[in-house]
Amino acid sequence: MFHWLEKHPFFFAVGVFVVIAFAGLIEIVPNFAQASRPVIGTKPVTLLEQAGRDVYIKNSCNACHSQLIRPFKAETDRYGHYSLSGEYAYDRPFLWGSKRTGPDLMRVGNYRTTEWHENHMKDPKSVMPSSIMPGYPWMFKNSADIDTAYATQLTNAQFFGVPYNKPVPMKDGSTAVVKMADSVAGAHAMALAEAKEITSKMKDQNVKDAVARGEIPEIVALIAYLNSMK
Amino acid sequence: MNKLYLWGIIITAAMLGATYVTVGYQKGGLNGDIVNMLAIAGAVALVIITMFVVIKYVRQMQTDQASGELADESWDNIGEYKNPVPFGWAIMFIGTMIWGMWYFTIGYPVNAFSQIGQYNEEVKEKDAEFEKKYANIKGEQLVNMGESVYLVECVACHGLNADGNNEVDAADLNQRISEKSIKYVINHGSNNKLLGTEMPMPDRNGLFNAETGALITDKEIDAVAKYVADGLKDANSAGAKVFANVCAACHGPDGKGMAYVAPDIATWNKQLVINVLDNGKKGVIGKMPAMDRLNPKQKEAIAAYVMSLSKGE
Repeated sequence: MFHWLEKHPFFFAVGVFVVIAFAGLIEIVPNFAQASRPVIGTKPVTLLEQAGRDVYIKNSCNACHSQLIRPFKAETDRYGHYSLSGEYAYDRPFLWGSKRTGPDLMRVGNYRTTEWHENHMKDPKSVMPSSIMPGYPWMFKNSADIDTAYATQLTNAQFFGVPYNKPVPMKDGSTAVVKMADSVAGAHAMALAEAKEITSKMKDQNVKDAVARGEIPEIVALIAYLNSMK
Repeated sequence: MNKLYLWGIIITAAMLGATYVTVGYQKGGLNGDIVNMLAIAGAVALVIITMFVVIKYVRQMQTDQASGELADESWDNIGEYKNPVPFGWAIMFIGTMIWGMWYFTIGYPVNAFSQIGQYNEEVKEKDAEFEKKYANIKGEQLVNMGESVYLVECVACHGLNADGNNEVDAADLNQRISEKSIKYVINHGSNNKLLGTEMPMPDRNGLFNAETGALITDKEIDAVAKYVADGLKDANSAGAKVFANVCAACHGPDGKGMAYVAPDIATWNKQLVINVLDNGKKGVIGKMPAMDRLNPKQKEAIAAYVMSLSKGE
């Protein structure tokens, strides 16, 4: 066996690779799997939040805002606890971002409210005079794409095992269930119910009217997503 | 003297000569510079030592005879002399093994770098520094600290002048409580943990007027709201009478509140602000998120700042 390997350098190289790769496999993979397991308290996004996430990606929010708090005191003082890899377990794709023109948004749901986001997205300077962020007025007119969000949810649930309709452990020891609709019509109804909850705290009459008509403006979905980031 | 030594001397002389010429023809030579001199001294030493070592081994190759005791093993008639490991090397070898075991089991695991460990140390160090620097901060300084924390954490909703922002539903901090809020609280009750614990205030169906013996009326609510929002000043107003008969039982005749029963509604005080920061608040104008990640000193500073805003009202 070894004599044969000594005479066949190609297979010898393959053998060396297999041995080293095996060591890597047993040393790296278990640790990695452990660290990327969902942190207790991490929930998958709901349908409206998923639609908001799509709006977030569509408008390239991640080009200026990161979702990754590094373990430095200056950051944890400002944004809250540093990020853990397990908190991204249900993110597809993750939106870490690599540049902060604006602040980090990993836990923005902890310290901003629906009302604040509404004014801020319409005209950032109205709530933050020194802000350099542009306004996003079209989000108050365009409708969010609920069909795509539902398709994404379905894919995540069926192919990636994201636990929709299953109990997820929460920090206080209880369990939470994030529901997913079983039909497209059901999904629309579900998103609308979520949207109504958000618009009850909003002021823009056009947005309220649109939701009353059964449409969901992008801003409502986006605010749902931002509020969910905790 | 044989040829080997002769060559040694010739090559050494040639190399030293080359060194001398190289340095000598440089602009200014050594320039009396200590570093240059050290470099040259090193070059000379290197040439001489190299020559001695080379001569030693070349001589050994030329003259050495195989000697010693052959080991028993023979590989295709190629034998090997018995050549025991020198004692010093053996000691080093065993020492390395012992060190290796220590490093593998204790040295590395205990002293290994950890990002989170470094973070924890940094936080501990900075917190201690903060604690030490601001342990006795008070008065004007505390207000200034409060203002800077305010400008980072609170300004986004409460505004630069702390006059609130009705667009984003943030309260005006220049007064203790607004008329709108008072009416809402009386109508809906309140449970904001303003005393730090659950201590709900009943809604209008639980508020009796001691004078009339009936539930508080709309007219009375309007009067008392105006009176409290003005800072409980006009003692002769209708509101003052309602306050004395309805609210004073818990909030005290001067509106300063009672420990464990009702919060101060006349002025801001330190514990009140800290409780709002810790628990957030929900009222007529909206919901304020809890800002509990601030440290105790910062909360105290914000309280001092908020109190300084409404002073003189």
